[in-house]
Amino acid sequence: MKNSDVFMITARTEDVEINKNELAQRLNVKRGYTNNTIESCKNSLMKIISYKCAYIRAPVDMSRENICDFGFMRIDSKNLYKNLSGCNEAFVMALTAGMAVDRELAKLKITSQAEHFITDAIASAAIDSFCDYASGIMKNGLDCAVRFSPGYGDLSLTFQKPLLERLNAQSLLGISLSPSYLMTPMKSITAIMGIKNEKHT
Amino acid sequence: MKSILELMKERRIYFDGGTGTVLQEMGLPAGQSPELWNITDPEKIISLHNRYFDAGANIVKTNTFGLNRDKFDNYAELIRAGIKCARTAAEGRKDAYVAFDMGPTGQLLEPLGQMKFEEAVSVFADNIRIASQCGVDLILIETMNDSYETKAAVTAAKENCDLPIFVTNVYDESGKLMTGANPAAMIAMLEGLGVDALGMNCSLGPDIMLKIIGEFEKYSSLPVIVNPNAGLPEVHDGKTVYNIGADEFSDYMVKIAQGGGIILGGCCGTTPDFIKKTIEKTKALPYKVPHKKDYTCVSSYTHAVFVDEEPILIGERINPTGKPKLKEALRSGNLNYILNEGIKQTDAGAHILDVNVGLPEIDETKMMLECVSSLQAVTDVPLQIDSTNFDTLEKAMRIYNGKPLVNSVNGTEESMSHVFPSIQKYGGAVIALTIDEKGIPDTARGRADIAKKIIERASEYGIDKKDIIVDPLALTISSNPESAVVTLESIKLIRALGVKTSLGISNISFGLPQRNIITSTFYSNALQCGLNCAIMNPFSPDMMNVYHAYRALNMLDIGCVDYIEYASADKGNTQKHTETKSEETLHSSIVRGLKDSAVIQTENLLKDTEPLDIINNHIIPALNEIGTAFEQKKAYLPQLLMSADAATAAFDSVKKKIPSEQSDKSKAIVLATVKGDIHDIGKNIVKVLMESYGFTVYDLGRDVPPEVIRDCAVEHDCKLVGLSALMTTTVPSMAETIKLLNETDRSIKVMVGGAVLNQEYADMIGADFYGADAMDSVRYAENFYSEYQKIV
Repeated sequence: MKNSDVFMITARTEDVEINKNELAQRLNVKRGYTNNTIESCKNSLMKIISYKCAYIRAPVDMSRENICDFGFMRIDSKNLYKNLSGCNEAFVMALTAGMAVDRELAKLKITSQAEHFITDAIASAAIDSFCDYASGIMKNGLDCAVRFSPGYGDLSLTFQKPLLERLNAQSLLGISLSPSYLMTPMKSITAIMGIKNEKHT
Repeated sequence: MKSILELMKERRIYFDGGTGTVLQEMGLPAGQSPELWNITDPEKIISLHNRYFDAGANIVKTNTFGLNRDKFDNYAELIRAGIKCARTAAEGRKDAYVAFDMGPTGQLLEPLGQMKFEEAVSVFADNIRIASQCGVDLILIETMNDSYETKAAVTAAKENCDLPIFVTNVYDESGKLMTGANPAAMIAMLEGLGVDALGMNCSLGPDIMLKIIGEFEKYSSLPVIVNPNAGLPEVHDGKTVYNIGADEFSDYMVKIAQGGGIILGGCCGTTPDFIKKTIEKTKALPYKVPHKKDYTCVSSYTHAVFVDEEPILIGERINPTGKPKLKEALRSGNLNYILNEGIKQTDAGAHILDVNVGLPEIDETKMMLECVSSLQAVTDVPLQIDSTNFDTLEKAMRIYNGKPLVNSVNGTEESMSHVFPSIQKYGGAVIALTIDEKGIPDTARGRADIAKKIIERASEYGIDKKDIIVDPLALTISSNPESAVVTLESIKLIRALGVKTSLGISNISFGLPQRNIITSTFYSNALQCGLNCAIMNPFSPDMMNVYHAYRALNMLDIGCVDYIEYASADKGNTQKHTETKSEETLHSSIVRGLKDSAVIQTENLLKDTEPLDIINNHIIPALNEIGTAFEQKKAYLPQLLMSADAATAAFDSVKKKIPSEQSDKSKAIVLATVKGDIHDIGKNIVKVLMESYGFTVYDLGRDVPPEVIRDCAVEHDCKLVGLSALMTTTVPSMAETIKLLNETDRSIKVMVGGAVLNQEYADMIGADFYGADAMDSVRYAENFYSEYQKIV
């Protein structure tokens, strides 16, 4: 099935500023710490990273307790239900940093474990930062809930399947899912971001 | 009715447009699989096809895009129903054809994904068998964004039906597939596999495809299909619409037709109106089928390498002949060593890598398949599959992602009758050796005659001479004084036959001292005679000097840009080395994480120090120093890992000097992230440190079932297992693994670590040790083995 109502956001690497706290945390260093290896890994990664996001704005039926019904998927989750309280629409999104990152990591795994670890950490921070960037574009002034992803709390990873299918994630983003719900490319994210109902005065 | 292939020779033909867009207008809810309507609402599907035929389309795609055995239990029934709908619509119409539509499986293939190539072939084969029984006119493999999965689908189609095969891939705005291939690479592979038409669909609008069509026009000998989306979706008044309308779309299609698009249609967002307008505007345009392109190339999963004026370097280092370390790596199944050789040769400038893993004591086919698959995860240059075993060649060509170079065929009937059928089936260029039943002719004329014979015999299999690269064989001048002269003369005669040439250069100097002098001079001479490919050592400065000088002297490197970069980079390296020599010791190199310097310092030490003393007095104390600094939070994790890298490199240099029977295999550990958990960073850090301390690490990766962990520990008689988990949900899986290990062998100790664990949890699930961080784990393992060795 190729749905025809999915939107795309792409970004050049220079448009996405990597969140410094996130990076420090993933590298296990003090905020702002860097060295030659970290810088050269960052430069190599930035040449190959390719940010892409696909999303829809979907209605969500919250009329039954602890069930979030998006039509194309019905999610039974206390945590997501709570996260989406006060919403009857949500952005459903999938994002990726691209397959070239996986290839670079596979190569570094052979040649240098330190560079592998560092590049992996930067790539994780980068895709998170792109997620913030893309969410900002989607929100466009709307009041939104905190992003929630399969794997958080009681929201099962299995929902990645209907979510990715709904977003044509394979043809638009090249994201595929293994039988145990691992995404390839590795640096990919799926998320739901509720849109708060406008307050009536 | 004419077959679609006959019709294509006469006139432009047209595909239909989008399915989802039209069906959603008919009431299909967003997100529901349209294929279900094949059974529940067939009249609507028939009406969809009728509207496209009425608009003038010649080919409709069956509503079967997302169907396969992994996605729908009743996929067979849905496929049959879908084909019946299309057949019903085509009934009684002139020039109306039904294409069985097959989309991707939804899973990514190995080595980056999880699905095996043969598994994908089998999934597609099921679909093809059903479709061919139901009577379709052609197979359309579409919306493929991975070259490897495309190959699996085409292979399945070829093996299970005789129908024409059309293939369209999804290119993004950079003109590449999601997994990296450009049009030239896809064309090389698909023409080799023998498809009937190829092109692009989906993804972006006709504006973007117009930018790429030139690439197809330039390289494709086959008719080119262009089925674009109606641009990109936008929201207007709360409704989703595509941003390119039928008028604009059809205007673009005129330009695409003029640019070489032969078979036109639409994809997402297009409707019968788009197709109707496209046909109106393009049907009167002059029509000519593409002419046959005459270039020699091989390809990887990203790009094609053209054998033409540019000299081609084929790295020879993955070949065990005369390389004891590679032999050892092959015997012990040490793929990392082989992969490293591949990466280093690519970095050194090799355009293609020769892969030969033939050793009498190993299973050559199995090793070849592993090497080809793994190399294609870490390097993007095409591979030259090198074996004297026909079965190995055939199987490796099957799983190769791209159009391979095959090494080799020769003029004997036995060789030709085995190798050519495989090339006919899977595509490929082949190195043809000028030797036959009577041996290697002494004269250039004799060698050219064998080349002629091979070319003629190949044509009987439909293999064009552009895919034959002749190697007239260089024999050493130490025993054959006339060898170089005859070989060079052969190159000239063979080039005159209209084929490309290759040589294994280094043979020429076998048995002589200072071989590089002879080898590189011979290479230079051969290039002057028209040699195209050299199987050579890209680490040899003499050979690379000849290569760069030849390009600069023959107007292949205008402005000497590449030469200048090559020459200056070389100078830089020399300076760097002297600099590190004066300042660093092995200890400081490891503490500071300087890998290159650590290797140089180790080699210096090895001149007058016992290998084991280097480990115990230099490497381990340095690691302990940085480890302690890390524990005291005076050093960060990246620094610790850089030190570990440097220590591992030093350790590897030392190991070369320790005879293999003496090397310490006693310190070993099995590491895994437990089943259900996909996080492996913590585990990888422990692995690196363990290796730098000299442990043999059996790394099972992530999401590993308990039985696999147990089997590995038992197989290697390894008494220490490290398990990692990051998610609370996977702690039970860790407990289960520990239980299984305990049941198997009480003497196996299990250490655990990971973000969700603490001492209390670890005790609860029966672990022997909880490692708070990587250093903690290493210290436990070191202790364990020093105690263990006292007992044993």
